[in-house]
Amino acid sequence: MKRKLNNIFFVLLGNRIYFLIGLNILVIIIMSMISPYFLNAQNLLGMTRFGAVLAMVALGETLVILAGGGGIDLSIGSILSLSGILFGLIVKSGIPIWVSALLAIAIGGLLGALNGLTIAKWGLPPLIGTLGTMYAYGALALVLSKGMPISGFPKNFSFLGQGVILKIPVQVLLIVIPTFIILQYIASKTHFGRDIYLIGVNEYAARFAGISVTKIRFSLYVLDGILASAGAIIMSSYLMTARADVGNGLELQAITVAMLGGTNIMGGSGSLIGTMLAVLILTMVASGLQLANVNTIWQLAILGLILLTAVAINQAIAINEAKKQGIA
Amino acid sequence: MIRNTISKGYAPRTERRAILTIILLIAEIFIFSIISRNFLSGQNLSTVLRNATDLAIISIGMTMVMIMGGIDISVGSSLGVVAIIIGWMIQAKINPLLIVLAAIAVGMMIGIINGSLITYGKIPDIIVTLGTSNILRAAVFAMLGGRWLTGLPPVFSWLTAGNLLGIPTSFYILIIFYIIFWYFLTFRTSGRHIYAIGNGIEASSLSGININRTRLKAYSILGALVGFSALLYVGRLGSVEITVGIDLPMQAIAAVVIGGTSVKGGSGSIIGTLAGVLFMAIMRNGIVLLGIPSLWERFVIGILILISVGFDLLISQRAKQLQRIQIAQQREAAISIKSH
Repeated sequence: MKRKLNNIFFVLLGNRIYFLIGLNILVIIIMSMISPYFLNAQNLLGMTRFGAVLAMVALGETLVILAGGGGIDLSIGSILSLSGILFGLIVKSGIPIWVSALLAIAIGGLLGALNGLTIAKWGLPPLIGTLGTMYAYGALALVLSKGMPISGFPKNFSFLGQGVILKIPVQVLLIVIPTFIILQYIASKTHFGRDIYLIGVNEYAARFAGISVTKIRFSLYVLDGILASAGAIIMSSYLMTARADVGNGLELQAITVAMLGGTNIMGGSGSLIGTMLAVLILTMVASGLQLANVNTIWQLAILGLILLTAVAINQAIAINEAKKQGIA
Repeated sequence: MIRNTISKGYAPRTERRAILTIILLIAEIFIFSIISRNFLSGQNLSTVLRNATDLAIISIGMTMVMIMGGIDISVGSSLGVVAIIIGWMIQAKINPLLIVLAAIAVGMMIGIINGSLITYGKIPDIIVTLGTSNILRAAVFAMLGGRWLTGLPPVFSWLTAGNLLGIPTSFYILIIFYIIFWYFLTFRTSGRHIYAIGNGIEASSLSGININRTRLKAYSILGALVGFSALLYVGRLGSVEITVGIDLPMQAIAAVVIGGTSVKGGSGSIIGTLAGVLFMAIMRNGIVLLGIPSLWERFVIGILILISVGFDLLISQRAKQLQRIQIAQQREAAISIKSH
């Protein structure tokens, strides 16, 4: 009997995508019971706006974790803050907004490249390397902005963060969805993408197969930085200011989302679709709690709990599968 | 006999790295005393020592956890929770001895929760402590309810502010704790188990070390030390603010890696950590004395972590290369002897 229950548990969780879709529906039902304003198309579509930045950051985080070797990026929130502040300063200096946006993205890539250099090239444990840059970048953002928000973006720039096309928020339609499609294509159809999974599963095998582990991990940290700075641009357009604290706590959200989406913390398995579905869940929970007037403090605690449960479940599944393979 | 081989086989190598940190520390003191005239005054130095005591105590536990190849980034939030509980108990005029016991017990409990999630829940330490750190931070917010806990009666201030024979009491606390844990890590079997686990879980498990119990023990000791540090913190400041301990994990990790503990686990020393703590404390003091905005402090510490870890990796890679060359030479020599 216990074994049967066990089996049901693992079958339910076995296909992560169906499980997440089910969880999404469950969250919608619960939230609409809590708040009568929750369930209408306008609200649901509008809500995706709040998930846009998280989605960008979480996609990068997922790829970094997928590549294994203890890969994790704690500095992602600080990269977002710092590139946002630099973006604001560049715009303020009178450079056209599009050029500054490109510059900001290049800066994000550079900041990510420093992570890649210390981790992939020098061999620092990702945890320590990104912990160091997390504090360094975050402090630099504060120093550069002198702790004050930077405003002075041109008026029509707000279209990106606040506008709608066909009732869908602009940043979701024009940035998040295309980025997701491109990354999903890369991860599932290209050599580069399959190599990411392979080095996550078995780094040594990948080396013997002639794959440059260093190069792939390095480029993933760069990509991670680029995605974070794109998130920073979306964030500045939404707030119409650049602030040094916008990225605080984002690394926790990004890692939580990746774990909930089914990415194995040791790398090698997981999917970007799972991450996107998990972003939806988290966004709905956050705005549902806001509608229900729950203090934002508790969101931190809830995030922490979701993170721990998600990873515990992932580990249980991984151990179960290893057992199965061991028997078979 | 065994004790002899242990102290000859392992300790000197890690302590040689500690000497490097001590030299750095002396150089730092030298530079700051040239730049700022106030630096070497007795009052300034004892202030530095007082402010560093809680960090120093936590860093002991962090060293043990990191030698095992683990990490704990929840120490700041757990210190906050314990500090608030201490504050409440002081306000309720509970016997100080009971407060001390309660603080250590609560800290230890948090450590045990972390440790059991890591060992029995099989969740990586960074994820566990990231999760608990945020849950505890939310608890800090909720317990304080948006207000600071201020104007606490100075029940524990003698722990850091007092003087004994003209030397700050915190000096004695540091010496006692560091000697105890230096002895534990260098000469006790369970202390050596911590090094063994850091060098290889598989091998230690095969040689009969109870991995789960040792790891759980290390995390609960860290928790207890955090609980004790919360006493020092409350005694030193007489208040608990909402951002309590927010930089503590970073500072402790920085102190430990500057002190030469390998981030990959397996080597490190308590003496190095003490030098690392003092290095950090003096660096912070120097930043203030030089009139640099304190916003730069986190930047400097972040970069220091990267530099010291990068440096250690470089050294260990060089050592491995040398070893490989040596082995190759020996092999060649052996072959040439055979062929003759």
